[in-house]
Amino acid sequence: MFDAFIDGLFLVLQWKAFSLMLVGMGLGFCVGLLPGIGGAATLALMIPFIFKMSPAEAFAFLLGMHSVAATTGDITSVLFGVPGEAISAATVVDGYPMAKKGEAGRALGAALMSSLLGALIGAVALALAIPVVRPLVLTFGSPELFMLSVIGISCITSLSGAGARGQIKGFAMGLLGLLVSTIGQERQSGSLRFDMGIMYLWEGLDFVPVLVGIFAIPEIIDLAVRGTSIAGEGPAENLRSGVMEGIKDTFRHFWLVFRCSVIGVFVGIMPGAGGGVAQWMAYAHSVQSAKDSKDRERFGKGDVRGVLGPGAANNSKEGGELIPTVAFGVPGSGAMAILLSGFLIMGLVPGPDMLTKHLSITFSMVWTLAIANIITVLLCLTVLDQLAKITNVRGGWIIPFVLLLVFVGSYTANGQIADLIVTLIFGMISYFMVLFGWPRPPFVLGFVLGKVIETYLFISMSRYGFTWLKHPIVVLLIILMLVVIAYPYIQKRRGRSGSPANA
Amino acid sequence: MRKGRVLFCIFLIAVAAYAIHSALGWSFKTRLFPISVSIPLLALATIQLLQVIFGKGETDEGAGLDLDFSSDVPPDVARHRVINTFCWILGFIICVYLVGFPLTVPLFIFFYLKFQSNVSWLHSLAATAITWGIFYTLFQWLVHIQFEPGAIQTWLDL
Repeated sequence: MFDAFIDGLFLVLQWKAFSLMLVGMGLGFCVGLLPGIGGAATLALMIPFIFKMSPAEAFAFLLGMHSVAATTGDITSVLFGVPGEAISAATVVDGYPMAKKGEAGRALGAALMSSLLGALIGAVALALAIPVVRPLVLTFGSPELFMLSVIGISCITSLSGAGARGQIKGFAMGLLGLLVSTIGQERQSGSLRFDMGIMYLWEGLDFVPVLVGIFAIPEIIDLAVRGTSIAGEGPAENLRSGVMEGIKDTFRHFWLVFRCSVIGVFVGIMPGAGGGVAQWMAYAHSVQSAKDSKDRERFGKGDVRGVLGPGAANNSKEGGELIPTVAFGVPGSGAMAILLSGFLIMGLVPGPDMLTKHLSITFSMVWTLAIANIITVLLCLTVLDQLAKITNVRGGWIIPFVLLLVFVGSYTANGQIADLIVTLIFGMISYFMVLFGWPRPPFVLGFVLGKVIETYLFISMSRYGFTWLKHPIVVLLIILMLVVIAYPYIQKRRGRSGSPANA
Repeated sequence: MRKGRVLFCIFLIAVAAYAIHSALGWSFKTRLFPISVSIPLLALATIQLLQVIFGKGETDEGAGLDLDFSSDVPPDVARHRVINTFCWILGFIICVYLVGFPLTVPLFIFFYLKFQSNVSWLHSLAATAITWGIFYTLFQWLVHIQFEPGAIQTWLDL
């Protein structure tokens, strides 16, 4: 096994594989920065180029590209409040307010360093978990996966508002997100729902136009209203020390980063859950780890812990997703499904062979994840100073380019003008949500998870009726969900009883 | 602001009511999920509406984990700028519809910089040329994204 581990490293370090990995990383860097052109779509575009490559070269190229896109997606989230990737949306919540406070360098330093640690933890998990993960994956059927997704939504909704009224709003927004996800053709029967006679809606709403509208439009409007630069008119941040501070923050909150990375790996292993859940569960965990309700109120206003959690989980889940893909041929996400086709093109069959005959190739993937992320983060750290300066440019200069980025991104979803209209409509709804204090993260998570949840619910009901509610793991997850919902109240009560007034 | 909050709650109630009304005519499997989501949404939005109308104070209102709009701009000026920005966005979409994406890009960048941001002619033209160059190289030349022709090009059969 150790020989295969070392062989895997040498496979990646061969000049051809290494060069191809660098090319892939360059592509991934651009893709990550551009909203709309997702990592999965680019993987699909690049598949035809791997036919003449060896397996190690092909995976160095594809994985180098894919793993880097998740890292650089955080950069636009922090600088402009526009998620570069759908899986970078949670970074906006605290990353962009940090940029507005003049702490863009710190936020970027924290995002990149936590991404690197997350990727390394994900790679280690991939290396260690392959022999032991089989029972875990087989234990989780549709009912358990349904409950896991519901917990993901409960985490973020229960934490998304202050007090009982805040929770009502959080749950209402989560439900609205789930409802919006049902637009279009129902997967099981093919019936159309809420299509209003518009053919565009038959396929349902694409993630990118909705997410970009929800997150980017209110931020752009706020920037236009303020009439200043993104960082405002406060004292300019010392960028180099800001970036260093962000890196130090990562190690200051090392255990939070570690726990969020583990969450990312765990969610990545679960087929179908994907990065949308991982980042929000990690974000919710970061919020939950606040000392008291007062500490919790710092989140959403530019708390570095809100950047560290999603950053780590986004990258660690890459390693997690590879585990079921390599070991059982069960892709953890759309991107992994495309990667699976790469396996077949290379003549490799995922499963036991990947853990015996082709173990060195499996380990070459582990090394690619680690090396590609180390190189990217080191390169990014050298140019962060320049990137963060963008936040000091006058809003009037920035807005047209960000708007262009937003609309080109949403247009690439389906290549129709209707994508732009969807972005505008959800941008307007999102503007009013922010104005009237309705939280956006639960809506986004509900929307992203809606189809998955409905499918799991359908399979659970068809297969088990209502008896799936008695499955031991489901019962355990229901209890966990109730604890998650009650946690803010418990924390508040504890804080009140511990306050000097009550002493 | 209170009026706006009430209207937003009514909007949510209307969405949930429409969803329930539409779903009632579907088969059980098709309506199961939308109905089980819409009913609690209707209930929660109604509770929130009642709280906004009859509740005391706004101390418990915070959206928590989300953006706060800046409050240091006078409300009238802010409202004007919000409407203005939405008009630019709408103008962008109408322009894409009329002349297509590739032509809208330089037009939008130039007009926004020159007339909204009051940037000098030289800088506006230079920024427009650079943006259009990047846009063309990246999206049309490298990625080959197919942009729909605008309505005007279609009418004129260009």
